[in-house]
Amino acid sequence: MSFESVRGLAKKSDVLLMGVCVILAAAFLVLAGKNVAEAGNFLTIDSLFFTAVCLLLALTFIAIPAMTLRERGMLKNPFAIGEEIAPARAAESVHFEGSTRLFLNVLGALLALTFVEVYLGYIHLRLDLMLTILIGLSLIKAALIVAYFMHLRFERISLVLTLVPTIAICICLLFIFFPDSFRSHNLRTTHATAPPAETETEATP
Amino acid sequence: MSTEASLGQIVATDWDGGTLPYRVGHRKLGMWLFILSDAMTFSAMLMGYSYVRASSDQWPTPFPFYPSIIFSTVMTLCLLASSFTMVMAVRASAHNSLKSARRWIGGTMIGGLAFLVLHLYEWNHLITEGLRPFGVHKGSEFAHKWAEQWPQAPPLFGASFFAITGLHMFHVLTGVMYLGVIALRISKTKHEDVEISGLYWHFVDLVWMFVFPLIYLLSVELPKHG
Repeated sequence: MSFESVRGLAKKSDVLLMGVCVILAAAFLVLAGKNVAEAGNFLTIDSLFFTAVCLLLALTFIAIPAMTLRERGMLKNPFAIGEEIAPARAAESVHFEGSTRLFLNVLGALLALTFVEVYLGYIHLRLDLMLTILIGLSLIKAALIVAYFMHLRFERISLVLTLVPTIAICICLLFIFFPDSFRSHNLRTTHATAPPAETETEATP
Repeated sequence: MSTEASLGQIVATDWDGGTLPYRVGHRKLGMWLFILSDAMTFSAMLMGYSYVRASSDQWPTPFPFYPSIIFSTVMTLCLLASSFTMVMAVRASAHNSLKSARRWIGGTMIGGLAFLVLHLYEWNHLITEGLRPFGVHKGSEFAHKWAEQWPQAPPLFGASFFAITGLHMFHVLTGVMYLGVIALRISKTKHEDVEISGLYWHFVDLVWMFVFPLIYLLSVELPKHG
């Protein structure tokens, strides 16, 4: 038998083997599907176990043909990162500022401010004092995130002046109705002991 | 805009406008505008929470420093760390090292998923204890504690807590999915797309920087007064 015919035979047996593998994998997939369709309540230990075993066996059998195809370059990973840069990316002019050191410093500052906040929660300050300090610290943290992580500090001043005052003013406008919350609080009559006695109507003429 | 020179021609000076008045692509500007509107949504919700809290005679402060606050601090650290890895991903993408960028985005997703898992664990814990969106479950541990400590509190603590943290959790979930898509398609996307996903992720982190103090730190269980 010549060398060529041996190779031809090996090729044929490969094809046969792969065919068997694909058929078995398909059979196990069908079995898994049948189990899902007929199990009734699918979320039981038995049913999940049986499906998982079928899927695992299907995966085992499909692995050999898949790896062979991949070796021959017939099956490509669609998400692989090639050596060459995509044209869209290559044509893009990128300006990125900021070093790892800078970002580490910002992260350190954010962590430090967070721990200060948590410490304030630990020592139980008065509610209004606590609220003021927490909002202040959070605003500093937000500014750090927006400026460095979201890169706004390195953007054009026109973009900064379009975005920041807009959101600041909109949020401030939300405060317009806030004093009303204290009014409804003050209006509430507390019946700690007894209902208040009949009083002269003062508000109405 | 193929080269820096042609970019310079259409950008002109800071206040001349030109074709690219903001020197960002339309998608990035769109994301900024979305972030603006989303920031208003969250501030309106936090404002609503503050409103009902300020207008109530009593407001429950049910979170003990340990374990609740420590637990939520760990969640905060997860988000902060993931924000940092996202910056590194954008940096790697700017230097066209796509494999490194994909790895950093993967790290960011792990941080986000860790946050989600911890958050769901916490929700599950609170619901088992008896906290409900409108009130507490009768006969539960919480119901007993609340009747004793905050008899005049309105039943809105659960509503504000679940609504605000739930909306934030939804943002984290969509952010993780968004980052997953970007990571898989990184060789086909432009650098700006990676940067835009970064903007969204940092915004999710930023919102938590307000949710955490207002919802958690201002609900620390106070020491009992005599």
